[in-house]
Amino acid sequence: MIKVSQLLKTVPTADGDLTILRGVDLEIVAGTSAAIVGASGSGKSTLLGLLAGMDVASAGEVWLDGVNLSALDEDARARLRAEKVGFVFQNFQLLPALTAKENVMLPLELAGIREAGSIAERFLREVGLQERLGHYPTTLSGGEQQRVAIARAFAREPAVLFADEPTGNLDTRTGERIIDLLFELNARASTTLVLVTHDERLAERCDQRFSMTAGELSGP
Amino acid sequence: MKQALTWRLLAREWRSGELGILLMALVLAVSVVVGVSSFVTRLQSALLSESARFLAADMVVVSRSPIPEPWLFAAEQQQLQPTEVVGFPSMAVADIDHMALASIKAVSPGYPLRGELLWSLEPYGEVRATGAIPDVGEVWLAPRLFALLDVELGESIIVGEQPLLVSGAVRGEPDATTAVFGFGPRLLMNTADIPATGVIQPGSRVEYRLLLSGAPDAIASFTEWVKPQLGQGQRLDSVEGAQPSIGETLDRAQGFLLLAGSLAVVLAAAAITLASRRFGERHTQYVAILKSLGAQSPEIASLYGRSLFWIGLLGTLLGCALGWVLQEAFIRVLGTLLPVEPGAAGLKPVLIGAVTAAVCLMFFAWPPLRRLGQASPLRVLRADMGVAEAQRSRDFVLGSIAIVALMWWYSGSALVTGAVIAGLSVVMGLGYVAASILLSGGRSVGGFAGSLWRVALAGLQRRGRANALQMVIFAMAIMLMLLLSVVRTSLIGQWQAQLPADAPNHFLMNLAPEERPELQRFFADNEILSEMLYPMTRGRVISVNDAALPRWEELEEDGAPRQREANFTWSEQLPTGNALLAGEWWAADTDEAWVSLEEEFASDIGAALGDRLSLRIGADSLEATVLNIRSVDWQSMRPNFFMVFPPKVLQAFPGMYMTSFRLLPEQKSLLNQLVGILPTVTVIELDIVIREMRVVIDQVARALELVLGVILLAGGLVLISGVRSSLDGRLRESALLRAVGARKGVVLGALWIEFLVLGGLAGALASVGAEVAAWGLQTQVFEMSWTPTPLMWALGPSLGAVIVGALGVWSCRRVVNVPPVVILREV
Repeated sequence: MIKVSQLLKTVPTADGDLTILRGVDLEIVAGTSAAIVGASGSGKSTLLGLLAGMDVASAGEVWLDGVNLSALDEDARARLRAEKVGFVFQNFQLLPALTAKENVMLPLELAGIREAGSIAERFLREVGLQERLGHYPTTLSGGEQQRVAIARAFAREPAVLFADEPTGNLDTRTGERIIDLLFELNARASTTLVLVTHDERLAERCDQRFSMTAGELSGP
Repeated sequence: MKQALTWRLLAREWRSGELGILLMALVLAVSVVVGVSSFVTRLQSALLSESARFLAADMVVVSRSPIPEPWLFAAEQQQLQPTEVVGFPSMAVADIDHMALASIKAVSPGYPLRGELLWSLEPYGEVRATGAIPDVGEVWLAPRLFALLDVELGESIIVGEQPLLVSGAVRGEPDATTAVFGFGPRLLMNTADIPATGVIQPGSRVEYRLLLSGAPDAIASFTEWVKPQLGQGQRLDSVEGAQPSIGETLDRAQGFLLLAGSLAVVLAAAAITLASRRFGERHTQYVAILKSLGAQSPEIASLYGRSLFWIGLLGTLLGCALGWVLQEAFIRVLGTLLPVEPGAAGLKPVLIGAVTAAVCLMFFAWPPLRRLGQASPLRVLRADMGVAEAQRSRDFVLGSIAIVALMWWYSGSALVTGAVIAGLSVVMGLGYVAASILLSGGRSVGGFAGSLWRVALAGLQRRGRANALQMVIFAMAIMLMLLLSVVRTSLIGQWQAQLPADAPNHFLMNLAPEERPELQRFFADNEILSEMLYPMTRGRVISVNDAALPRWEELEEDGAPRQREANFTWSEQLPTGNALLAGEWWAADTDEAWVSLEEEFASDIGAALGDRLSLRIGADSLEATVLNIRSVDWQSMRPNFFMVFPPKVLQAFPGMYMTSFRLLPEQKSLLNQLVGILPTVTVIELDIVIREMRVVIDQVARALELVLGVILLAGGLVLISGVRSSLDGRLRESALLRAVGARKGVVLGALWIEFLVLGGLAGALASVGAEVAAWGLQTQVFEMSWTPTPLMWALGPSLGAVIVGALGVWSCRRVVNVPPVVILREV
């Protein structure tokens, strides 16, 4: 499902090139969940960006659902994301100008799905926000915002869901409820879940666990 | 991307304020451009009518023989309205002891086609404008003729063989300066009486004038038809040739309006750029989210392109509507001034407005939005990714070219554009360097200051680059506002100086040398203020360097050197209000035969410095060498002369005297006494014209204030946009300061200091730029003299500090009124 070989990422800096990922190899089977853990600055988020096709590698290959991302241009990768990928971010990344329902409708509208409104309502019901459809993000709590983000991620029924520190901005209790919700929806939809976190307890709930240290990946 | 999403984003974005400023800036640019260009178009048509008034028609066919019937017929065929005027000098006789050579003008019904014929019952009685002309069998006399002929209203005089009843006094003819038939006082009669007088015989010196008015197209096609048929002694007079004294005032006002319009466009473009840039910056994160959800670059471009299209359309429509209101306001303000209802402005101003909107959107609003399409989706994971500077430089260069082209196209003047660009370049170049130095030095000064200053100066330095840019933008806006105020003040000042409240309002000519003591006594007795008495004689320049000049009617091509008849005087010094353009003035007691020429007169006769002129003065002749060329301020109400000689050269020739004097309205009846005492003098009443000019100047000044108000609004918008462009950063920092325990007073005080310093520096830079541009405009465009404006140097920095300070703190007021956590969450 997701296959990475000899992935290298360097960025130019004033002091010369900085290597962030050093020859990463990774394989995640479809329908399973995988956690990538590591300290801040270890390269987890960079890897996530490459896996989702939001960035291009300096060397190596990323295969997502049988497609070699390295061979695609920016717009083709965006198309692929629209069709197969969902995201949940640490800081929610909701559009403040849109209501909860409109935020969930966004990826559906981008894909040209007519029933975007009713689908969005259904998913917001599933995450328990049926009373908050018309609320703007600034009027929602952190946990509620993350639930909107989860509804948005699952609304398109993606093949792969990437989650970047999904509980990073939440208190422990809210975080646990969000994770429960995430795993519940994931199991129901048989989505491949890739989680980036530094929370070991969260990582333990995944089928696979990878560890990132200074740009190098180890495990499972 | 979907239309519904576009609308939803647009509607929601409206709340953030950037779209509002973008739309307002666009509406302002379009409305000022549409308003000013419509007004200028209508003003031009009114100006033409104003000129036509001095011709009493839109066009005149002048002939020394009767106007051919087919011409009249052809004019009527073209839907032109005709009326005939016949002029000739002839004796008017009251009785054997009272007769005078009069300049007779016979007019037909319909005269004048443009302007008004002014008359009164008594010689200097109440002026009327009733649209009437003398009835058949009646005449109206110039006030002086009443005294010369010793007649009163209701008595008869004889012209040729025909007795005519005196039924009024002629007080003002619109074409008095263009239709002159000899030098005697005016006698106005009806053309129907001419045959009965029997004065027109073969060989008589008669001028026939066919006055025509009508649509410009019809005038043009008649002109084209008649021109090839003009014979010896026939010519066409058009409005272009008749230059009214008010024309120059309106001309300059028009130049000022176009300048103001151009500045409004620059300011609006700056506001649009700032608003669009902030919109773009705030939306980079949106776009990253949209891209992470699968939106592609063309879809993003289409979303923002469409948003911009709708804003552009709305802005253009609102701008056109507001522009129409603006020009209506101008016309209302100037309503009493315009002699006729100005014509329709047509669609051209709307086209200009639409092009302005398109250029503003394409070159100023679109670039930051276009860059959005390139935003990396990775920003959802890493928010600290920057924007390519190289692209911003390219956008700046393209934007600069666009604004220069727009200003040039709009003002139609490379000089206006050049002066403004020079000022702006000084502000931008010098300003950016100065700002960078000053701001980088801020922290070292702040280190010794209290915490308030330390916070403020550290803030200034931390955003050094952004602050320098912001300061240049503030400076640009303040500069353009200062510039317009300075030009407006000096224009109005100059106009008012032309017509001081005690300006002479009457000319007196034809005063014999021996009558001088009597006139001076009359002035002294009645406490009338007058200029000095100028000796005056009349003669004709017949050759230059022994090459004979052709007479006007013998001219083979227009504009070639020709004979000119003119009044001239003698003087020891250069007359007041004159300026030497070439050569030098003579010693007071010189007996050399020098002559000083007015510049246009010199060009008419084709004479240059050192040329020898031959003149005929009565039966005598005189030779003189051109020692200098002068310019003359014809708008001053002083006696002015084409030729001036040294006193010793002209004293041998017979001459008369002239002067100008000021009469108060209640002293008007003294003129009857004056022409009773000195019946041969000619009095020219200028008070009516002066009153009219003063009204024009007052009204034009009001129109300029209106435009200035609009420009100040545009400048204010730029300042608001400028402040808002750095709002997020300031809000975040101030909220952080409050979060770590800073008191409201410290946060607010630091903001005040930061904005006051920025505004003050910007104001100082603006003063430099405005002075440079004012120099260029005043000396090169408005042909005025330039003097430095010390007040501006004081006003610029203080106004800049106060306005930017107040606007800045007002925009950031939420930071002390709203809990810091709310702000930190929002930004």
